[in-house]
Amino acid sequence: MSAVAAKPQAGGAMNPTAMGVGVVLLLIILALCWYVSPGAGLMALVGVIVGGVLIGFGTHFVPVGGAPAAMGQAPGIATGVAMLAAGAGLAGLFGGAWAAEQGLLIATLTGGVGGGLMMAITCMMVNFVYVFGMGIPSASGKVAKDPITGDTQAEFKSQGTEGHGLPFVSFVGGVTGGFLGGAGGTIIYLELLSLYETTLPATMKMLPAQVMPIAVAAAGIFAVGLFLVNAVLTAYNITGTIEGPHDPKFKRWPRAIVASAVASALCGFLAILIVAM
Amino acid sequence: MTVKVEVIEGGIPHQKIMIAGLVSTLVCLYLTYLNVLTNTEMFAFFGGLAVVTALIWGSHTIKVLCSYGIGTGVPSAGMIAFGSGVIAMLYATKFGMAAPIVATILAAIIGFVLGYVSNNILNMKIPAMVQALTEMAVVGALTLMGFAALMTGGFTFEGLTTSEVSMLGISISTTQNSFIGGALIAVAFLLGAIAIQHPFNATLGPGWKQDRMLMLTAECGFLSMIAAAIMSFAFISMGAAIISLIVAIVGWAYTYNQYICLSKRDAAAWLDAKPIPEVEGH
Repeated sequence: MSAVAAKPQAGGAMNPTAMGVGVVLLLIILALCWYVSPGAGLMALVGVIVGGVLIGFGTHFVPVGGAPAAMGQAPGIATGVAMLAAGAGLAGLFGGAWAAEQGLLIATLTGGVGGGLMMAITCMMVNFVYVFGMGIPSASGKVAKDPITGDTQAEFKSQGTEGHGLPFVSFVGGVTGGFLGGAGGTIIYLELLSLYETTLPATMKMLPAQVMPIAVAAAGIFAVGLFLVNAVLTAYNITGTIEGPHDPKFKRWPRAIVASAVASALCGFLAILIVAM
Repeated sequence: MTVKVEVIEGGIPHQKIMIAGLVSTLVCLYLTYLNVLTNTEMFAFFGGLAVVTALIWGSHTIKVLCSYGIGTGVPSAGMIAFGSGVIAMLYATKFGMAAPIVATILAAIIGFVLGYVSNNILNMKIPAMVQALTEMAVVGALTLMGFAALMTGGFTFEGLTTSEVSMLGISISTTQNSFIGGALIAVAFLLGAIAIQHPFNATLGPGWKQDRMLMLTAECGFLSMIAAAIMSFAFISMGAAIISLIVAIVGWAYTYNQYICLSKRDAAAWLDAKPIPEVEGH
């Protein structure tokens, strides 16, 4: 069988037993965290899980086209989920980190705006290249009409392709996904940063000003690590490519929520153990 | 139902590469502990060798996983390896001398859970998934630890977070000029993540040959080691850093040469073509 026909047939089916195991695992980790560090640690872990779930959910919105999109045979941005999510997430994280002193709400919104802005610029330049460089119009292959503008798609779609370019709904999806991802990454960073700022001076027996570089760098690298783990898990959920929120694959998001929550909880728990034990 | 696209024909079986990779990486990491025993920093370059051996193992694991056509691209495998590895590695550094062993165990636990999550909750149903993600998290953690040992000469939390800086003749302890505090861990993260995913991404296809891919991995590993060795000038003594740099450059030159030879061997036909000669009379 050729490599093209050998795409994984993961399908949209849910596996209730595995979902149950996932939820139980999540509760066990939360209980362990409560046992180790009932106050600040548990709060930070909840924040990390919320951030991870936001990243996992947000990645579903991003129009990921992969290699077929690079050849103009499928809609979306012509690269993989890991690259797009890392770009949007890190742009958001940098934005959020600048505003870290303004409080959780403003910093999270700033992070979201950073990620959304990054995706908006990416989507726009991608469409410039598609329309003016490759000479193809934007058309979705998954829906007859654009759910937002109501434009019909079929007339613009070339035969033998699944659509091409970035239709309006994919553009909106990309910006929404970037916003959620950037906000999620910033929440993880802020929660870990505030935990490290308060606990590291005692663990390392140093002044608060001295541990600041460690707190910032450790929280940052943990946020990046968690971001990539959640983005790749979502990539596995959508088996690589998705058109945006109108794609049938979007309906698989409940699986990704459980998966992201379990993965973030486990990784976040280890990040908290650094200062709690 | 998943179809395996390529089968490993001939070459070294994956089990053997895995065991050899794990053992040699751990041995190389512990050889950097000679720094503490002999009170020098001359053995930091063993950290770089640990990076290379771990990457060779990791790139073969990526080959095993991505042969199934997971649909997300090869780089995503490298990203999840380091994303999960960095978390295990940072916590493991708290355990002092046991750090490499603890990192292996913790990363294996994280990788196993991630494998279970993707195979069962996300319904990937790929036979090699759980084992591959477990191995990959271990590779990510050990590679980062190798970079840490190469740059700072040790792998303990204290060594990675503080360093002595001499200012106007007075030696003061600072956290800013350190592997974690200076965020060099982020550079190490991407140096490793690119080196682990590139070899299979570059050599995959019908003409894939195991020895050529592994040689390219070693080349990428030594190339990363050159960059890391240059950064190590900031933390370890000049002599030790120069040793690391020389080892890295020699290793890179050898593996690059070998890789070109293997590429020429596997090319259908290669011709040392000269520029088109200018023919008179046109």
